[in-house]
Amino acid sequence: MRSFLSALRLALRAIWRSKLRAGLTVLGILIGVAAVVIVVALGTGVRQKVLGEISSLGANIIYVFPQATNASGAKVVDSGRLTEADGAAIVKEATSVSDVTPFSSLSAQVVADEKNTPTQVMGTTRSYWKVRDYKFAAGESWTDTDELLKAKVCVIGDTVRENLFGEGEAVGKYVRIGRYPYRVVGVLQKKGQSPFGEDQDDRLLMPIGSFRARVMPSTPGRVQLLLASASDERTVDRAVQQIEVILRQRHGIDPDDEPDFVIRTQAEFRKSQEQIFDSLQVLLSSIAAVSLLVGGIGVMNIMLVSVRERTREIGIRMAIGAGEGDIMIQFLVEAVVLSLIGGMMGLTIGVGVISLLTKALGWSMELPLAAILAALGTSGGIGVVFGFFPARSAARLDPIVALRNE
Amino acid sequence: MRTSDPIIELQGVAKDYATEAVVVHALRSVDLTIERGEFVAIVGQSGSGKSTMMNIIGCLDRPTRGRYMLDGIDVTERSNDARAIVRNRLIGFVFQGFNLLPRTTALENVELPLVYRGISGRERRERAIKALSQVNLADRMHHTPNQLSGGQQQRVAIARALVTEPPLLLADEPTGNLDTRTSLEVLGLLQELNRRSGITICLVTHEPDIAACASRVVQMRDGRVRSDTRNEQPHDAFAALAELPREGEGAVVTQ
Repeated sequence: MRSFLSALRLALRAIWRSKLRAGLTVLGILIGVAAVVIVVALGTGVRQKVLGEISSLGANIIYVFPQATNASGAKVVDSGRLTEADGAAIVKEATSVSDVTPFSSLSAQVVADEKNTPTQVMGTTRSYWKVRDYKFAAGESWTDTDELLKAKVCVIGDTVRENLFGEGEAVGKYVRIGRYPYRVVGVLQKKGQSPFGEDQDDRLLMPIGSFRARVMPSTPGRVQLLLASASDERTVDRAVQQIEVILRQRHGIDPDDEPDFVIRTQAEFRKSQEQIFDSLQVLLSSIAAVSLLVGGIGVMNIMLVSVRERTREIGIRMAIGAGEGDIMIQFLVEAVVLSLIGGMMGLTIGVGVISLLTKALGWSMELPLAAILAALGTSGGIGVVFGFFPARSAARLDPIVALRNE
Repeated sequence: MRTSDPIIELQGVAKDYATEAVVVHALRSVDLTIERGEFVAIVGQSGSGKSTMMNIIGCLDRPTRGRYMLDGIDVTERSNDARAIVRNRLIGFVFQGFNLLPRTTALENVELPLVYRGISGRERRERAIKALSQVNLADRMHHTPNQLSGGQQQRVAIARALVTEPPLLLADEPTGNLDTRTSLEVLGLLQELNRRSGITICLVTHEPDIAACASRVVQMRDGRVRSDTRNEQPHDAFAALAELPREGEGAVVTQ
């Protein structure tokens, strides 16, 4: 312990004597550690933000899509049939499902007076607002009666409003899709981009009956998607099972056959997103780690120079009784101290940059304690690994040769 | 001399250096016994093998053949670390070029051998100050080598050699870089140490004046001991110093 402390003092003094050189070496480690720390924190920040948004879409949402099946041979059966009646049956029979919203959409050109804009035209029901948590900035939703009568009414997102009406009032105006005019009854509150990069304000919604009747003529009741909400986040799995059983029964599909529908949950989306982030994180971290490695090579370089410069000093120390271990420790401690100084400074700068980024981007970034310890541990470890070879070469010097060195 | 208590015993010690073309026989079978308390000068021209012998005696080098007993221990085949301990415990070194650590104070230089002995900071300091006062440099202990004169640097080196209280002090051309006056000062200091504390001194030199101060002179030639003579009336360096014309302030060594 005592010899370690004196080695530490020696190391600090040796570093202090060649401040500029030590500073440049430290810079290499500093940049490496700061890069790692910032990448890790940015990773957690992005992850939290995006996954948080996915959850905000509703962690208990279950998506049911129709799926084309190859029933026999090459003959492709008409793409899966999913209907509003399926939805109604699910609500009625699945105890873990609280609500089902039918949904279909189509890209179409929407015209108002002389202006027009391409947008996503969607048919759904009033329950959609609740499921997707949409609020109204102006006007209000269409009514149950509108749904029954397949009325020519619609609700538009903020992007569509801006493109068609600019600063002007939108509610009460008419927009035209194809041959039919629709009265705008409400404008949705701005929601921004979804985690999947979709503009959630670039849309026009109408009762699904109206959609089927005029925008995309199709079999009565046919939908592209059923949005079911489980009664609780924890019952999602059970709800999925119930939906599967009900739909198989209604569509007459044997338990062994492939169903003509697909069920996806928000949790699955979340999981796949997490996987994407994980691999991205690994990629960025390895790039940062490479810079740390380069810093380590810098430490090794400077230690080799230091050993060469102090060959005579090593000879003197050996002559008066320093063993190989003493010399080894002296240079190893110097390398570790150099790296740790870089590590600590890099950590400080990293934390500074993170707090600046947090303010600038408004994300909540986290630097886990484990990452801090890992950063310091790694930089110390770099000192040991890259200091070992120079220290060993110092310890193995022949005292006579070392003493003769000028 | 007084009793038969050898501190150094070289038995048939030889050292060969293999260069690319030829094998150089730096030492050819040397037998030499030095008793405790002797002041021996080893003289010879360059290439006579005296430095090689000093390196072997100092446990810095190993003999190719033969046996070397230091203070009753056979150190011929010891490991590097064991030899480091032997150097630290039994030998004090004084070099021609002083070999002090640069940018390091006199006190710290003198403390250094004790660091490798694992002695605590306070004791180290006390003993280093004591050793520095022995060479009359206690007032310069916070000076670094480049703030000291050559004679002062060599006295710091002697203090460093003495701080471990070794039984043997090896001096390799200790006055080679010094003028006459400071040479005599350093030499007088060594004589006094030998007389007062009975430390064995083994000194390499090529100057007859310096060798005349030793009680025994071993002359080397071509890797062999050519002559080994007792000097019953060694010159007193301090007396010689007093005879020199006074110039400036000479350091007076007291104890």
